[in-house]
Amino acid sequence: MRFVSFRPATSILATAALLLITTAPSQAQTRAETLRYVTGASVNTLDPNIPGSTRESFALSMSTYDRLVAFGRKQLNGKWVFDLDTITGELAESYEVSPDGLKLTFRLRKDAKFQDGSPVTAEDVKWSLDRCVTAPILGKAQLLTGSLTSADQFKVIDPLTIEVTLPKPDKLALPNLATVYPMIINSKVAKEHATADDPWATAWLKEHTAGSGAYVVETFKPGEQVILKRDEAWNRGSANKPAFFKRVIVQSVPEPATRANLVERGDADLVLDLQASDVQSLEGKGKLKVISTPQYNAITFVSMNNQIPPFDNVNVRRAIAYALPYDDMFKAALFGRGSPLFGANWADGKPANGIYPFQQPVKLDLDKAREYLKAAGLPEGFSTTFSFNVGQASTAEPMAALVKESLGKIGIKVDIQKLPDAQMSTQINEKKLPFYTEGIVAWLPSTDYFYRNFYTGNQRWNYSSINNPDLAAIAQEARFEPDKSKYEEAGRKLNAMHYDLMPQIMLWQPNQDAVMAPSVEGYTYEFHRQVDYRDVSRK
Amino acid sequence: MTTGLGATMVRAGRRLLSSLPALFGVLVFTFLLMRVLPGDPAVFFASGPNAGKEEIELIRKQMGLDKSVPEQLVFYLSDIGHGNLGRSMMTGQPVLKDLRERLPASLELTFTALLIALIAAVPLGVIAALRPGSVVDHGVRLFCALGVCVPTFVSGLLLIYVFYYLLGLAPDPTGRIDVFTSLPPQRTGFLSIDFLLAGDFEGWWAACKQLILPAVSMALFVIAPLARITRASMLVSLGSDFVRTARSVGLSWRKVVVTYALRNAILPVITIAGIVFSTMLGANVLVEKVFSWPGVASYALDALLSSDYAPVQGFVLLMASLFVLVNLVVDICYGIADPRVSIE
Repeated sequence: MRFVSFRPATSILATAALLLITTAPSQAQTRAETLRYVTGASVNTLDPNIPGSTRESFALSMSTYDRLVAFGRKQLNGKWVFDLDTITGELAESYEVSPDGLKLTFRLRKDAKFQDGSPVTAEDVKWSLDRCVTAPILGKAQLLTGSLTSADQFKVIDPLTIEVTLPKPDKLALPNLATVYPMIINSKVAKEHATADDPWATAWLKEHTAGSGAYVVETFKPGEQVILKRDEAWNRGSANKPAFFKRVIVQSVPEPATRANLVERGDADLVLDLQASDVQSLEGKGKLKVISTPQYNAITFVSMNNQIPPFDNVNVRRAIAYALPYDDMFKAALFGRGSPLFGANWADGKPANGIYPFQQPVKLDLDKAREYLKAAGLPEGFSTTFSFNVGQASTAEPMAALVKESLGKIGIKVDIQKLPDAQMSTQINEKKLPFYTEGIVAWLPSTDYFYRNFYTGNQRWNYSSINNPDLAAIAQEARFEPDKSKYEEAGRKLNAMHYDLMPQIMLWQPNQDAVMAPSVEGYTYEFHRQVDYRDVSRK
Repeated sequence: MTTGLGATMVRAGRRLLSSLPALFGVLVFTFLLMRVLPGDPAVFFASGPNAGKEEIELIRKQMGLDKSVPEQLVFYLSDIGHGNLGRSMMTGQPVLKDLRERLPASLELTFTALLIALIAAVPLGVIAALRPGSVVDHGVRLFCALGVCVPTFVSGLLLIYVFYYLLGLAPDPTGRIDVFTSLPPQRTGFLSIDFLLAGDFEGWWAACKQLILPAVSMALFVIAPLARITRASMLVSLGSDFVRTARSVGLSWRKVVVTYALRNAILPVITIAGIVFSTMLGANVLVEKVFSWPGVASYALDALLSSDYAPVQGFVLLMASLFVLVNLVVDICYGIADPRVSIE
């Protein structure tokens, strides 16, 4: 470590002198009406539907485009989070679900206009939804989870009414329309830029917007920054008003320490994705507002490949579940910033409810772990590798070291493998990793959705490669279960099976730490885990 | 003089031609290297929620990975022939456009850093050589050792901590210019020049302020090789016959040191400066990261981490071409510093 005093006095003095003369007064007036949001990720496309789009692109599209409906918000332990169960109109003034649940009718707002001034019509809505289920874009796979698969399902009734028909009553159909992908595009503008090869204008929409959202893109530098300007005509905010900030600057600052410095110095208004240690120290100083929300639709877990020996043996998986030093890992990786999913106390040995994710009754118990290893026929232990990706190194590295140490005590020799992100995702996709840590997130966190996507089928998100027909059947059936208590019962069953089979070990839900200037208000934890710029305002 | 210049130009042209096979080799090698690296870019980019097999195939097709490697190579070479470096999956932009936008940022930073380094290193090397073994010499040696052993991102973060965070003297270390400053019309891509051309001195100051910290942290790292080479070649030069003669005929100290010794000692410094420049351009990735500098190196690193082939290949090609160019410039500088070099 070198200290400043060792540098040549001349260059320091010169630097200092240069800087002293020129410390500019901050542009106070423009600053107050501008939200400067810095983030480690970057916006790489203006259409979130493009394969490879980043989370930042999702957030951006929420403000530049409107959807038919939006999620409401609710308070969770005194913090605002999105509410999956309240769906409010965005472009739709009202909507109606037919008694049999097969028909959704949306009546559009009469005053809704695209950013070029033309009115939003049912034709535009149909074109946009058609695009989402027909074009080779990301929306297709998402809408599938809500039984929206074909353009035939969308019908224009009159210029302000559109009807969506479903093959089966699907509780996720409506919430799906509030997610990132089914944004409503100005079809006239988009069609002008469509080509024979690209009838849905995907290439053009990647770099341009044609929406009706609260913000207009002023400049877009992929990978660097996006500057947004308020659309004064947009009135779909709270109390039918435009968004609060006149301008929004979304800037990529890859170095987390710099992001922390920026917000602490007051040069940035809002920061996400800081290092847990920085958040803790900023919180301790008490000058800034820190809103930490458990990511209640995300889970960090340790996964084991249920098809690769020795992890194909349930007793080995149970042994690991009792050999992880949960508390130490939680402290080392997250500084305790999150909700633990371990250490529950199930009085009657059964899960308390049917909600997933849930807290499992596992804790560090090496004797129990040894018993399970013996039951698995491996009393001497075995050797394996524990992998994590470089992108998660700050939390996964200390975790991995603790896993290695603790498993070593029961004879399991662990080699830690740190993989570049692309390599890690490839190996996960090819089901080659025996033992690793990953995180998952679901936009529509309902129990059946989690189980169907993450615990069934031979697809990438089935991290543990579990193949249990009973579990798959229950999850599949629950999807269309209209009866609440039966649904809850199915959820309980699934949770009990999870604990029994232990395909992977849920660890915790990390907090989303949003650090902001004390004047910033209204921050809400959204399903896409980014800031919705329309939520925030300045005192 | 015209013959000397002409000879230099001919040499330069010949050098440029002879480097073409090398560039081609770099092209093919990088291409193959990217393909044998583990990690499937299509899987990485299809990492959004619900991205399944279909999306992966789609991306693979977009990136041209559905074809066999020899086929891909042929397509790639023909694309390069047409001046098309492919499209980046990360930014969604053509690689050529990305590089064109980002290269000036990197060049401006590297030039400034090299300038700072030279201004500091040459005098340091000269004073060390004038008093070899003295306290000054040891001081310079210590300083060089410290500069070279502290990684640039550490010095960068330290500079930010002191000048931005603690003292509040430096502007916020994000990018080339304060986000609230409007940009000048783009001519050279070098903000410090474009602002001057536009006559906007306030903007010019803002751009320069933004440059200082990253340039200083980069310069600190390369002062050592430059100063050491200056010292060594000054020592040789000072001990040579012509300097002794110059001294004995009673020329002024200044004339002896600057005109005779330094002019002769500067050749190796130019060589090293050329090499240092090329390495800095690629190696300043950490500085670019720390200061959110929108340059080519951080771009290439991001691309490499996500196995985004086209930008990495484009970057390597760019670096190779720059290396050839820099060497050429060094050659020409040689010819000017020492006309004997141009005589073949």
